[in-house]
Amino acid sequence: MLKYLASTLKEIILLTRDRGGLAMLFIMPVALIIIMTLLQDSTFKALEERKLPILILNMDQDTFGINIYEGLSSSSFFSVIAQEENSQDPVGSLKKRVASGEFQIGIIIKSDASNRLRNNIRYNIIKQLPEEDSLFFGEMSIQRKDKPKIEIYFDPITKNSFKQSITSALNEFSSGVEAKVLFNVYSSLFKELLDMDMNNEGGFKKLVDIETLYATNDGQMTVPNSVQHNVPAWTIFAMFFIVIPLAGNIIKERETGISQRLKVVSGSTLPIILGKVTTYFFVGILQAVSMLAVGVWVLPLLGLPQLILGSNIIALILLTALVSLAASGYGVVIGSIANSQEQSSIFGSISVVILAAIGGIWVPVFIMSDIMQKVSMISPLNWALRGYYDVLLRNSNTFEILPSLISLLSFFVLCLGIAWRFNSTRKSY
Amino acid sequence: MDVAIDVIKLSKEYKNTSTLAVDDISFSIEEGEMFGLLGPNGAGKTTTISILCGLLQSTKGEVIIGGMNSITHSDSIKKIIGIVPQDIALYPNLTAYENLRFFGNMQGIKGTHLKHRISELLGIFGLEQKAKQKVNTFSGGMKRRVNLIAGILHAPKILFLDEPTVGIDVQSRKVIMEYLMTLKQVGMTIVYSSHHMEEAEKFCDRVAIIDFGKIIVHGKPNNMIEKYDNCNNLEDIFIETTGRSLRD
Repeated sequence: MLKYLASTLKEIILLTRDRGGLAMLFIMPVALIIIMTLLQDSTFKALEERKLPILILNMDQDTFGINIYEGLSSSSFFSVIAQEENSQDPVGSLKKRVASGEFQIGIIIKSDASNRLRNNIRYNIIKQLPEEDSLFFGEMSIQRKDKPKIEIYFDPITKNSFKQSITSALNEFSSGVEAKVLFNVYSSLFKELLDMDMNNEGGFKKLVDIETLYATNDGQMTVPNSVQHNVPAWTIFAMFFIVIPLAGNIIKERETGISQRLKVVSGSTLPIILGKVTTYFFVGILQAVSMLAVGVWVLPLLGLPQLILGSNIIALILLTALVSLAASGYGVVIGSIANSQEQSSIFGSISVVILAAIGGIWVPVFIMSDIMQKVSMISPLNWALRGYYDVLLRNSNTFEILPSLISLLSFFVLCLGIAWRFNSTRKSY
Repeated sequence: MDVAIDVIKLSKEYKNTSTLAVDDISFSIEEGEMFGLLGPNGAGKTTTISILCGLLQSTKGEVIIGGMNSITHSDSIKKIIGIVPQDIALYPNLTAYENLRFFGNMQGIKGTHLKHRISELLGIFGLEQKAKQKVNTFSGGMKRRVNLIAGILHAPKILFLDEPTVGIDVQSRKVIMEYLMTLKQVGMTIVYSSHHMEEAEKFCDRVAIIDFGKIIVHGKPNNMIEKYDNCNNLEDIFIETTGRSLRD
């Protein structure tokens, strides 16, 4: 116990004396959280709030073309600019402007699109009527025409997400216009067949209402946003970077001969390792607290949503403690195995980046390939992230995040065991 | 006198090397004796001391310390030995007192006993006024003195010193060597490696000159000087036995 306490006290004194290093341990992660959240939030905003400029050439100038144009214009995602039609070659001009990057997307609604749509709808309806009735409409004179056409031109650098957005929007507006035209054609047919005037009051309205809701475990809803996603992810990432100073601390002791001196002391080296783990464990906890505090109090000042910590604070504390323990364990094992400061800093930082990448810190696991989704299961950062998402977004309790807690604890014990074994067998602890 | 250290046919071969760092050496050191291990750079002194302290495992041979086998009783042996490494094995950002308190705690010493012991030793080595200063503000000689104190805080029966006076001023060396003589007088066995022939000749009861992992000559300094006709001191014997060629 004396060894453990002395080791812990010594580490605390050393840490507090290195004010520059200590500041880095807190300032850098906080800066990381703020910058990454702002960046990711602005990306979301680019999709959600910033309107995507679209160059449109409406050669139809009838119901179909006008409705598509108005639909895109009224959408909150797009800012629609009309291509001048009186130029010599409006189609060529539109293509040129998109190809040059002036616009990412250009849309051409081909001429006669509305007539073709009306004609084809009328043709389809009459075709479904019994022969004697269809003759009433002079069915023989109606021929199916080519489908109305919309051409979309993309700048080669346009992201897939933008392509999907515009395609979905056009499909939606096109379906709406089709339904409207269908309604009008039916009205005119009724008039012709039964001499009945349809009451068009209100016109065609959407019949289905889609409501977006989030499922949580206890019914309390925390609306997911960039802060709710980013703060826990980058908190975990920053906490694991404690491996660099911790591993460096162990290697420095080996290089200065201190470890030699300590290895000549009777008894196990485990209390000395645990002293380091304890100190850096609390550093990790303080890092997490400061980063979560930034999410709660600082990010709203920067115009970002506030981090909501959820209703299961005990689960959050336990999870944070085990993430810190796992990160400290990883630092100890790297410090014990690496032969030099260079080795430990390069391997330590790159391995954390790799574990973060495969663990879903940068890219959500669900959009990874099947193989990468399986690989992500080996990353302790993934276990931690799943735990945080469960607590912060699904309001899960301690029991429900037990798999994450057990995985992180097992990882710590494994790291500690390897470090202890390595220190016991190598030339100097 | 009882034998404190018995080294029997000791060899050490490092991985990926073709030569032996220590090559079949045998010697004994009696209790209360000051034994000098001398030799040029890379001769095998540090390797020998590291094996005796339990920091390295030998390839062949046996080491008995205090009547205990170094492999089977390594933990018991650690309780009776102390080491002063060649490097300044101290935390530069801790004060002298904090360093010594930490190493004392590691040896199981605590409370007022430790406080008094630190105070006593800092006083002996002229560092009492510097106790609360960080080690990184100390001169080389002051650091060497604290380095030595850290190795003797727990009053070991056997003390291993690996070049304890390298790179320090005459005054610091004098204080260190005089205190080592005091320790010897109270019965501590001291194994000491050095390049300082004059120092070894003056303070050691017996010396062994080691080169290429082998003991070339060993015995009492005066007897050795008498034995070599052309040599007037230990340095002459050292040059005579190890040659004049430069070592890496």
